[in-house]
Amino acid sequence: MDFLEAVHISLDSLKANKLRSILTLIGIIIGVMTVIAVVSIINGLNTYVSTKIFNLGADVFILSKSPAVILNIDDWEEAQKRKDLREEDYQAVKEGCQHCQLVGAAVSAVGRVKYEQQSLTNVTISGWSAAMPQILDIDVVSGRELTPLDEEHKSHTCVIGNDLVENLFPGLDPIGREVRVDDLPYLVVGVAKKLGSTLGQSRDNFVMIPVTTFLKEYGSRRSIRIFAKAYGQAALEQAQDDVRLIMRARRHVPYAKKDDFAIETNQTFLAIWANISRAFFLVTIAIASISLIVGGVVIMNIMLVSVTERTREIGVRKAIGARRHDILLQFLIESSTLSLVGGLCGILIGVVIAKLVSLFTPLPAVIQAWSIAMGLLVSTSIGLFFGIYPATRAAKLDPIAALRFEL
Amino acid sequence: MGKNGNRPMILTEDLWKTYEMGSEKIHALHGVSFEIRQNEYVAIMGPSGSGKSTLMNVIGCLDTPSQGKYYINDRLVSELSDDELAYIRNKEIGFVFQTFNLLSRATALHNVELPLIYNGTPSVERLERAKASLVKVDLGDRMGHKPNELSGGQRQRVAIARALVNNPSIILADEPTGNLDTATGVEIMNLFERLWEQGNTIVLVTHEHDIAAHANRIIHLRDGRIERDEIVRQVEAQKPQPQTTEAAT
Repeated sequence: MDFLEAVHISLDSLKANKLRSILTLIGIIIGVMTVIAVVSIINGLNTYVSTKIFNLGADVFILSKSPAVILNIDDWEEAQKRKDLREEDYQAVKEGCQHCQLVGAAVSAVGRVKYEQQSLTNVTISGWSAAMPQILDIDVVSGRELTPLDEEHKSHTCVIGNDLVENLFPGLDPIGREVRVDDLPYLVVGVAKKLGSTLGQSRDNFVMIPVTTFLKEYGSRRSIRIFAKAYGQAALEQAQDDVRLIMRARRHVPYAKKDDFAIETNQTFLAIWANISRAFFLVTIAIASISLIVGGVVIMNIMLVSVTERTREIGVRKAIGARRHDILLQFLIESSTLSLVGGLCGILIGVVIAKLVSLFTPLPAVIQAWSIAMGLLVSTSIGLFFGIYPATRAAKLDPIAALRFEL
Repeated sequence: MGKNGNRPMILTEDLWKTYEMGSEKIHALHGVSFEIRQNEYVAIMGPSGSGKSTLMNVIGCLDTPSQGKYYINDRLVSELSDDELAYIRNKEIGFVFQTFNLLSRATALHNVELPLIYNGTPSVERLERAKASLVKVDLGDRMGHKPNELSGGQRQRVAIARALVNNPSIILADEPTGNLDTATGVEIMNLFERLWEQGNTIVLVTHEHDIAAHANRIIHLRDGRIERDEIVRQVEAQKPQPQTTEAAT
């Protein structure tokens, strides 16, 4: 039996029954489409998350009161009872951490910034120590950075983000002007490099003030976060150990007890994300599998109908010399071609969905070659598998009975 | 063809076909023996229930006898397996059915090609032979048409071209005019006449006397037995060996 001939026959019968074919293939289409779209979107998300959200340097870690992501209520309750991190802790870490190149402290609030008649609300007010911009790779494009001297004098100076420049100082040079942050005057000494946005949220809507000033004006009864940059990635582990040792000693944590603070690196965040995205991925695969199995059963059903409808044709083919395996092969090729077409439609729609998502949302979608290959493979195998029974039935037909068969 | 002019092309010895209906045994064939030589034109006649369909199925290798021996060109075919029978059907038998039995979605040419596909003929040769076969039945200008674009007579001619394409030992026609009007029926019978003149061996199964009258020999069946086997038209010796079949072999 000619392979192309069988493919041709099945494409013909697809064309002859367009509506039926679409209905038959809908399960396969949805299944493959889901896999393609979700894999693309998750991949895009992964890239996005690692470059835009968790974009700490590989040699940076954060010491904070509680982890950034808490996944169960017990951990949350435990975290609430922990002691706040204080400026003294920052000083201790800064002095004691031998493997740390830089140590910075950060604390933030949300407030209102005013310049003359213009005002902006919901601005992030960041109290930063002088080392912070260097740890987080935030450059100042004009003016100067906040210095240890500003920190020491608790001076009312600030570096502002790009959003504030655009909204409060259209057409003006903000350097040397005075803004009011929550009604207190600050001198603008620098403008930070534009950072763009993440998930539709601007990252340039901030004003940076010395951490000491922040604690004085906003109260020192809040936990700060301590950022540290190790001497290269190789020293990251040791630097974390230094900090852990310092903190445990300061708080007299007994040997057998867990840390009552959190140390997190970019890897920690990425691992949490990887867990979430893996769970999401598995759920999607499970749903898609159900859809594919249902799609396979529908194909089996339609192939059984097709075998019945074409009983006479099978009789004729046998009469003129088709052997069992010729008929078997014909129907197997038909069912797998059918589901391959479904797979192709699914891939096409999946790719379109992924493209639309990346077009209309900030999420990039990265179409994965392996997911397309898998879509083709899985859809063809489903057709093959669910085609076995109908094809065997066709092959076993008695030629005389088949020739006499009337619908 | 005709590897052996003196030996019969078809030889049956005491064919029995028995069906069991519950406890009862029904003998559709009751010890049928006959032979058909090359280039004979035989009609098998009989009322319904006479066993002629069963006999045709056995001759056509669609079915095997319960007992007895059946040879085509000296090859014992009554004990072959399914797939071997398929091979014999493909090589030795050209079927023409009452209802044409063409593939409705395929063109005339493709329908004629079909037997060649199943014996693995390379596509170039396949196309040539299918075309030649269609030309033989005067459908050289209708090759690209699908069955529903053809008249009944034309469809039956496509079926005949399909039967001819593998140069079978016999053309086995089951009521070939049963679905055609009289004029078209005559046209088809003339075509059989011509094929016979060209050296083909034809076995016609029918219950109509007018149709059977085209044959040279009529085997009458009744209750699974040969009631009468008569030569109705004396043919002077053998026809000259045909050029057409030779050319196509």
